[in-house]
Amino acid sequence: MSVDDKNQLNVLLVGNPNTGKSTLFNSLTGLNQKVGNFPGVTVDKKSGTFKFEGYTVNIVDLPGTYSLAPNSEDEKVTNKYVLEASYDEIVVVVADVTNLKRNLLLLTQIMDLGKKVVLVLNMMDLLQKNHQEINIDKLAGLLGISVIPINAQIGKGVSELKQAIVNFTSSPITFVDKDSCANAVDETMLRYSKINEIVKQCFNNKGEDKMSQLTKKIDNILTHKFYGYFIFMVILFTIFQAIFSWSSYPMKLIETGFIYLGEWLAGILPTGIVNDLVVNGIVAGLSGVFVFVPQITLLFAFIIILEDTGYMSRVSFLMDRILRQFGLNGKSIIPLLSTTACAVPAIMSTRTITNLKERLITIMVAPLISCSARIPVYTLLISLVIPKENNWGVFNLQGLLMMGLYLIGFIAALVAALVLKNLIKSKEKSSFIMEMPIYRMPKWKNVGLSIYSKVQVFLFDAGKIIVAISIVLWVLSSYGPSNMFQRIEEKYAQIKTEQQLSDKQVHALISAEKLESSYAGMIGKTIEPVIQPLGFDWKIGISLVTSFAAREVFVGTMATLYSVGDEGNTLSIREKMMKATNKDTGEKLYSNATTLSLLLFYAFAMQCMATLAVVYRETKSFKWPLIQLVYMGILAYFSSFMVYHIFA
Amino acid sequence: MTTLDQLKENESGTICHIGDEHLALQLLTMGFILGEEIRVERIAPLHDPMIITSGVNCLSIRKTDAKLIEIKKAS
Repeated sequence: MSVDDKNQLNVLLVGNPNTGKSTLFNSLTGLNQKVGNFPGVTVDKKSGTFKFEGYTVNIVDLPGTYSLAPNSEDEKVTNKYVLEASYDEIVVVVADVTNLKRNLLLLTQIMDLGKKVVLVLNMMDLLQKNHQEINIDKLAGLLGISVIPINAQIGKGVSELKQAIVNFTSSPITFVDKDSCANAVDETMLRYSKINEIVKQCFNNKGEDKMSQLTKKIDNILTHKFYGYFIFMVILFTIFQAIFSWSSYPMKLIETGFIYLGEWLAGILPTGIVNDLVVNGIVAGLSGVFVFVPQITLLFAFIIILEDTGYMSRVSFLMDRILRQFGLNGKSIIPLLSTTACAVPAIMSTRTITNLKERLITIMVAPLISCSARIPVYTLLISLVIPKENNWGVFNLQGLLMMGLYLIGFIAALVAALVLKNLIKSKEKSSFIMEMPIYRMPKWKNVGLSIYSKVQVFLFDAGKIIVAISIVLWVLSSYGPSNMFQRIEEKYAQIKTEQQLSDKQVHALISAEKLESSYAGMIGKTIEPVIQPLGFDWKIGISLVTSFAAREVFVGTMATLYSVGDEGNTLSIREKMMKATNKDTGEKLYSNATTLSLLLFYAFAMQCMATLAVVYRETKSFKWPLIQLVYMGILAYFSSFMVYHIFA
Repeated sequence: MTTLDQLKENESGTICHIGDEHLALQLLTMGFILGEEIRVERIAPLHDPMIITSGVNCLSIRKTDAKLIEIKKAS
């Protein structure tokens, strides 16, 4: 053993859910932490380090669990890590001191495995509020281990805990001989009777649980049969209002920032392939990823605050009966709401749904709910159908159509869930046993760190795929059969001298024609016969192909395609698309029929590589993302077909 | 003797037996102990699920599962 190893300590942090374990982890490690994945399973692994008295202590924060008999995938990880903990590893059990009996159950199970254990009692502040008392020394004496009272929220007791880890001592008692019990229920009852004896000797519960009483009063309103749903609707409405109005400014700022970055890079890099790849491939791809950060951050901020206060559990409670009809679970409400920001983290948040069938259905239908990447596409297309001036009484018609599209997506998700409910066979029992935590103020540091990790997941998981596909698409749209591009250059060199056009004008004409004859253009023309019944031409075809990486790429592709013929570059994409006509008939290309058909196509089609990748990772099979791609494609094709023929 | 799903809001009883071992273990580990008091705190607006408490522990449960919990109703 080297000197370094001697000064290294490994600690596992375990405890019931809602005991403030993560808050403690944050105060122990500060920002010295990273989120990874436990090998083989899709559970976030949070690990970190701190240094104390010459020791380097590595901590793994394990998912919260009630016992070592695992129910969910998260709990299985905790179980495995604790069982496999080596003799040198210290297991720190975090317990909520106001719910001591239940919290000690997990402790006794771990102690009986012969692991090195330190008990942390959190929420000491609540104990005083409830006029309850505990004799810490007596509890430590009875258990034979170190017991450290803390208040994780303000960091009280944290250095005492570090001390207890570094100078570990114990002479633990044994609770239950497993072999003497007939079954797990008997064993657990025996544990509880032992725990009762101990708790009786050192816990004085003369006070009243004020927090629970407050929670009951709040519940009377928030789960009321009328106000309950009404308040939920008001909260939802407020969140969406806030997201659309607040995030537009930072989004414009990010877009402008990337335009400047692109221009700057275009200026300093030598002209040629590398320059073009960096500016039009990589920077354009990155811009498409980062522009959604404000909306995603805001939406997750709201969702995490609602979760942290305990309100989300009540929403699940209110919605369970309704969602059950569709083969979903009350817990599905969180992923379904998150998907309005981005389907990628939403699908990852389905892990709390223990029933596999309900989890699969949630994953399969979530992408039908409109995410933030659809917003730029919707905004552009809606402005073609409804010019801004149109108001219908007090309602803004554009806003109504936008709302309608969200509603259609939501209804489609429910219908798809209903179909899947009848198709997927499962014998697994479905249940909705979920703890209702007491209401409390959100812990802002935790909220901040959670938002940070969700946004990080989006940027890395979705980001790397979007950037990779952007590069592929750049190649497809920048290259064509060998001599075509050269001929276009020669053709315009001639036109330029004949018609006295400026460099800029010629450049626009050349890039539009190059795109048409590029590989991407060829693909667009190849699929034209297939999409013609939906009212789409080859230009829309190219955009459908390019926006497969991410939906918002549609807008950028359209901008490039229609840059032709706009000499001073004075018209917006919207105006250019409005003017576009069908070459054969001379009619407006973006008629209401075509535009509505295109809107529906974007509402339903699985135009997102990142989502498919995350579905593959979460279901561990190619089958489900493939089914998702096909069923959403068929749904998009036929609804667009119908709408086009109704309005044409 | 009755089952938990038969209770109305704010009624309570003592847990006697849980008819499914997996459910029994899950409830036990969440602090719902045989022989202790159980109370129906709230029934969802659409009559299912319900919120039940035992001591400071509070959780939601569907009526199909509540049916498996035999209780002695407090008078």
